[in-house]
Amino acid sequence: MSPEVALPMAASLLIPHRMPMRLVDTLLSVHAGCGVTESVLPRTSMMADGEGRLDEVVFMELIAQSYAAVKGYMDLLEGKPAGEGFLVGVRHMAFTGGAHAGDLLRTSVRTVTSFGGFAVVEGSVTRGDETVASGIIKLWIVEGGR
Amino acid sequence: MNALRSGIRASAAGDIARIGPETVVRRYRFAPGFIGFSGHFPGNPILPAIVQVCAVVSLAEEEGGKALRLAAVRSAKFLSPIRPDQEVSIRYRRRVDSAEEFCDATLSVAGKTAAAFQLRLAEEETPR
Repeated sequence: MSPEVALPMAASLLIPHRMPMRLVDTLLSVHAGCGVTESVLPRTSMMADGEGRLDEVVFMELIAQSYAAVKGYMDLLEGKPAGEGFLVGVRHMAFTGGAHAGDLLRTSVRTVTSFGGFAVVEGSVTRGDETVASGIIKLWIVEGGR
Repeated sequence: MNALRSGIRASAAGDIARIGPETVVRRYRFAPGFIGFSGHFPGNPILPAIVQVCAVVSLAEEEGGKALRLAAVRSAKFLSPIRPDQEVSIRYRRRVDSAEEFCDATLSVAGKTAAAFQLRLAEEETPR
């Protein structure tokens, strides 16, 4: 493995999203279709209110972007350009807690199944010991889309 | 209220129209400079799925006159990309089931369904 694709890795190298819509900061680990990312949203985030509270939709996007980062990393390992991913479905997603700008958020994703360009992904977002969101989403990955 | 929700409200292209006892519809037009397109994606702007969800929550808040929190999303399908300056019709039907409030929503562009999903909403003490 070249040092350029060693973990942890900046998500900006792995996904096409750019600020302010890039919510994932760093891909921490990847193993057997699973991955963990880390994020800290700034107070200036478009999805933080005046008190810094984050809109719940942030957590759904964190799961989608985290899977895209895992997939982008695997593409790089294979010497391919990272693909472009689109959230095309949500089987279910529950928002069970809240978070503020400045909180350290960890997102874990697991590939449930993949077929063609589609992937079904289970994910959860935690703030400290609290799970603030969890669910199953479906993504469509365009190979080498960038 | 956060900047995204403010931008969504500013993108409304008409008044809220009630078309049934629990069903409302409203038109939106998200301009190229709309904050929700920022960074998603450079050179290929697409309205993010989470912004589509947020737009429905925002509409439900305006229509109901109370702050709402997103508690769950179910059975969501994002079928076709929504681009800048397209006219988007958001329609939702609110219903109560087992003391929980649900919202069945569709987003349409030129009469074609671009997204459909079900939300569970809870009252919030203070607006976002």
